[in-house]
Amino acid sequence: MSSLEELSHRHEDEAKLTESEAVPRGAPILELRGLQKKYGLVEALKPATITFLAGEIHAIVGENGAGKSTLIKLLTGVIRRTAGEVLWCGKPVQLATPNEAISRGINAVHQEVVLCPHLSVAANMFLGDEMNRYGLMRKGAMERAAQAVLDDLGFQLPAAALLGSLTIGQQQLVATARAAMRGIRFLIFDEPTAYLTRQESAQLFRLIRRLRDQGVTIVYISHRMEEVFELADRVSVLRDGTHVGTRLISETNENELIALMINRSIEQIYHKEKVPVGKVIVETRGLSGPGFSDVSLSVRAGEIVGLYGLIGAGRSEFALGLYGRQPVSAGEIFWDGAKVEIRNERQAMELGIALAPESRRDQGLCLNLPIGLNINLPIFRRLSSGLTIRRGDEAANADRQIRDLRIKTPSRRVLASAMSGGNQQKIVIGKWLSHGARLFIFDEPTVGVDVGTKAEIYRLFGELLKQGAGIILISSYLPEVYELADRLHVFRGGRLVASHDHRAATHEDVLTQAIGI
Amino acid sequence: MSVDTTTESAPAPKKGTNILLGLTLLGLLLFLWLLLGLSTNAFWTPNNISNLLRQGAMTAILAVGQTFVIITAGIDLSVGAIVGFTSVIVAWLLQAGVPLWLSIILTLLIGVAIGAFHGFGIVRMGLPPFIITLATLTSLRGIGLLITNGSTISISHEGFTNFSRADFLGVPSLFWMVILVAIPAFVFLHLSRWGRYLFAVGSNKEAARLSGVNVDRTIYLAYILSATCAAFVGLLLASRIGIGNATQAEGWELQAIASSVIGGTSLFGAVGSVHGPLLGAFILATINNGANLLNLNSFWQRIITGLLIIVIVYFDQLRRRGSR
Repeated sequence: MSSLEELSHRHEDEAKLTESEAVPRGAPILELRGLQKKYGLVEALKPATITFLAGEIHAIVGENGAGKSTLIKLLTGVIRRTAGEVLWCGKPVQLATPNEAISRGINAVHQEVVLCPHLSVAANMFLGDEMNRYGLMRKGAMERAAQAVLDDLGFQLPAAALLGSLTIGQQQLVATARAAMRGIRFLIFDEPTAYLTRQESAQLFRLIRRLRDQGVTIVYISHRMEEVFELADRVSVLRDGTHVGTRLISETNENELIALMINRSIEQIYHKEKVPVGKVIVETRGLSGPGFSDVSLSVRAGEIVGLYGLIGAGRSEFALGLYGRQPVSAGEIFWDGAKVEIRNERQAMELGIALAPESRRDQGLCLNLPIGLNINLPIFRRLSSGLTIRRGDEAANADRQIRDLRIKTPSRRVLASAMSGGNQQKIVIGKWLSHGARLFIFDEPTVGVDVGTKAEIYRLFGELLKQGAGIILISSYLPEVYELADRLHVFRGGRLVASHDHRAATHEDVLTQAIGI
Repeated sequence: MSVDTTTESAPAPKKGTNILLGLTLLGLLLFLWLLLGLSTNAFWTPNNISNLLRQGAMTAILAVGQTFVIITAGIDLSVGAIVGFTSVIVAWLLQAGVPLWLSIILTLLIGVAIGAFHGFGIVRMGLPPFIITLATLTSLRGIGLLITNGSTISISHEGFTNFSRADFLGVPSLFWMVILVAIPAFVFLHLSRWGRYLFAVGSNKEAARLSGVNVDRTIYLAYILSATCAAFVGLLLASRIGIGNATQAEGWELQAIASSVIGGTSLFGAVGSVHGPLLGAFILATINNGANLLNLNSFWQRIITGLLIIVIVYFDQLRRRGSR
């Protein structure tokens, strides 16, 4: 018996699985019936009926904001359902708390590692379930056991090392090993390969297949089609919070899945305005700073410049450097052909640069303040006469942006936190439309935004271009930059590694350049 | 596809809850007054009311300054110590023969300097507000004791000491000082762009910074205002008790924070008003005053204040959650 199986058996004995909970391979283990989740008025997951079979790899695909993460949170007991029924091994269950989910053998490996970086790999793997003798921890025994599991899985990771000293990808593997040794019966992977190298991905896939062969049910969430077709037995598609279908992998193909996922043709979503390209607005020469080095590119009036790369490739860092948020260590910036120094955000704004940052929550919005205040934040100086704000103008500008952008709110006084992701993104955009700018930097503008709003945002890009603005579009979603960008720059490891004209390279080429193989 | 503009008249959460809380607090204050008026004869006497207004005035001014800081998601623990310290400064200056007007200006400038030092510690040195203001709390008392050599400096300037006992239009001058502070404070917080910036910084520093708000300057401003309010209270206290003593106003920072919190300010930042802390301060003053009149053991005042904080903030939280 391998050490992994030994350890997971240790757990099964403790859990004392009752006879009735044993489910033969291929029979339903978890059934969702009309499962629904509402946040206030927003329906994050419309009533969904999905059956998971014991010992299958069940992929779930869907765009950002389609309801995948809501589904995971429901299954792992992080949030409670609004309506519907969940059957575990044929019996109704609550799944009201994370502990309940774990005690039933439902576990998840998240995209972002939620372990303790200051503890050792072994300590993390045994966290909350330490081996004890006479009330003292058996550190050595745990390290040996953890090492045995890691070797058994072929991960080649040191059990005694601090977790924080490993790469994100390696930490992900530790998280997986941790889940694998807990006597699990149902394991959810949430975009596990986002940070993994090819080699690490291959190791992970071997582990997933091995678990499946042991009878564990795997839910695999990803938007990488090739992985879905490589691994999964069946696939369910979510779109805008709706479960639109489940297919056997052997009976479907990539085109059908994409059609289900977006329900409209690529041309309809990525509507691209034909705008005459004008003069160069901004040019960087050898710009370097924290997280990026030697970036030279230019943006002309009426064009979209796409920056593509994996997370941490230096695109956002470049944007923050250009915007004056972070100091630039070398290189030059030319604005309308004249050399400029941008030392802080205020200077960037005064030149005419607007930045819709990567994270709405952390950088874009004051969530517990009203929509109106958020929209007006960059322009209060302009809205003031003497000491006080002209309240009429303040209200008028907020209402105008809410109307023009079709932000769905009863009033400008509603808090930004009450809005959905798409509407929040519109608030961020409205903020910069009121300010007015000639260069708009959009960093991941459509993450967590539904397809309809996405199309609206793209149309808005067209409006901005027609008014003579230039756009830098940063995205890690390739189709978006691929279809929209007049010029596409690929970032890897903080450097600009390749540039293409509109649709001049294939998806595969761009991906390969971004990953760097 | 146009947004229905008639929905514009829908309830406005932020403003609505602000007014609601204000009315609740006002109701509570009036209820306490009514209750005390019925249970003791001494409450509704001109003397007692004047006394009550004087007691509440100083906490109220401190609470307004404190609120600016708390809205930025900070805290100012030093205000009590600043009151004691500046009472020493003004007494010392007057003793040295500095003219009254100059003594007042210099004392207020000391407040500005202390606030600027807090801003420096937070913005430039990266210290948490709790730590830097805790440090000034203890050191200011120490410096004050050094100056007075551990004793008190009495103030012989009669015009200065008579001020706190004077009335104007039948209302104690100390209460007029609350109005003198409250009106510009209201204009600043609710009608000017700097007020908006305080809220934005308290809600999300990074978002405010990326929107072109000068976050550092806003933080300096909040702490300078708080410390200056405290220095102003130091003047009023010196006038009232006629001495400068660095150990005075012990624990007033907690009174100010309590008033602010009772007045609806969120310690997580970005929620607060000017009228809330004022009402909070006078509610606390009424409890003190009432406990004295009813001959309650003064220890009870502390217990009641603590319970009141829990009850009011708890109900405020419930209401906020409900409105989501």
